[in-house]
Amino acid sequence: MTHLPMETLVGLREAGNEPGDTAAREHLNGCALCSAELERLHQRVARLKSLPALRPSRDRWPTVRERVRAERKRHRARFAGLAGLAAAASVALAVGVSTLRQPETELTPAEIEQAMVRSRVLESALDRIDPESRVLDGRTAGIAQELEDRIARVDRELEMAELMERQSRDAQLLRLWRERVGLLDALVDVHVTRASHVGL
Amino acid sequence: MTRTLSMESYLLADADSVVARARQGDETALAALYRAFEVPVYHLARRICRTTEDAEDVLQETFFEVCRSIGRYREEGSLWGWIRTIAASKALMRLRRNKYRDTDELHDELTGHRKEETHLRMDLEAALERLPEVSRAVVWLHDVEGYTHDEIAGMMGKTPSFSKSQLARAHARLRRWLGEEVTA
Repeated sequence: MTHLPMETLVGLREAGNEPGDTAAREHLNGCALCSAELERLHQRVARLKSLPALRPSRDRWPTVRERVRAERKRHRARFAGLAGLAAAASVALAVGVSTLRQPETELTPAEIEQAMVRSRVLESALDRIDPESRVLDGRTAGIAQELEDRIARVDRELEMAELMERQSRDAQLLRLWRERVGLLDALVDVHVTRASHVGL
Repeated sequence: MTRTLSMESYLLADADSVVARARQGDETALAALYRAFEVPVYHLARRICRTTEDAEDVLQETFFEVCRSIGRYREEGSLWGWIRTIAASKALMRLRRNKYRDTDELHDELTGHRKEETHLRMDLEAALERLPEVSRAVVWLHDVEGYTHDEIAGMMGKTPSFSKSQLARAHARLRRWLGEEVTA
């Protein structure tokens, strides 16, 4: 008698029905060895779940708190007027748009680096606006929030993309960094427009 | 999901109020979040990462991200679910940064355990620790944290089949190392 392999036993714990599950369950009903193996698998997982909680040996909160404080301080310190902001944003926009129009046939790490640099330029421009310290009207705040949410989603996708295999990773990274540049550019534009309206 | 919600209410009784204040940048509230979820985040990180130092770095990176992004937490899922996904992502990033060994065969070759393993019988902690990094991460995320193979595949940039295969191989090893093999 051929017994069920571990991959099948592991799969039988999943919700839903994969191809072959019905036959596997029929086998289980008549095979004491495989039933015992599945029971051991359940028990092993239960023991994994009940392993004692591990605790850090050091309190990392002071370090986290200092980093948060430093970042806030940096945000505040970078506010130095909006004089050069429009120019910086315009340059970034021009570069970003030209990049977006390039075909994605020849991907190189340099292209990704270019997009990352543009992203940093726009981040700096945003830091100089210091949007967190300013009051926005409801509509503008909604647009800005939506853009920030989309940037956050892109950031999460970038983290995931870093884990991909090299060939597919580069194309994905380039697409995401370009998308990020476009979103940042729009966010800068929102804040610059709002700033000009209030005469800053 | 029920498990995470009950865990959340157990860890942080006034979660709504704490989150609202944390969004305003209230340091006391941020510290409360840290204190509430410090152990489960570290526990997850330590089960995935090879060293305590890596796990503590993941703990730190996770809460820095939580402090920065709490304004974007939309309460669509549980707070613990949101923090846990950040922690899992940071831990997997750490594995990748450390150039984890991607194949079981190479792991065996490097650790030189293959010939002796049939004679070993170890406890579950030791057996889990001995699994290759990726296999251990899949076991922990799937069997303990409850992520699906699709979700694990998304976090790792792999396919669901890869996740299933890693889980099966990991359990075959655990069974052998724990002396649980069934004989006909």
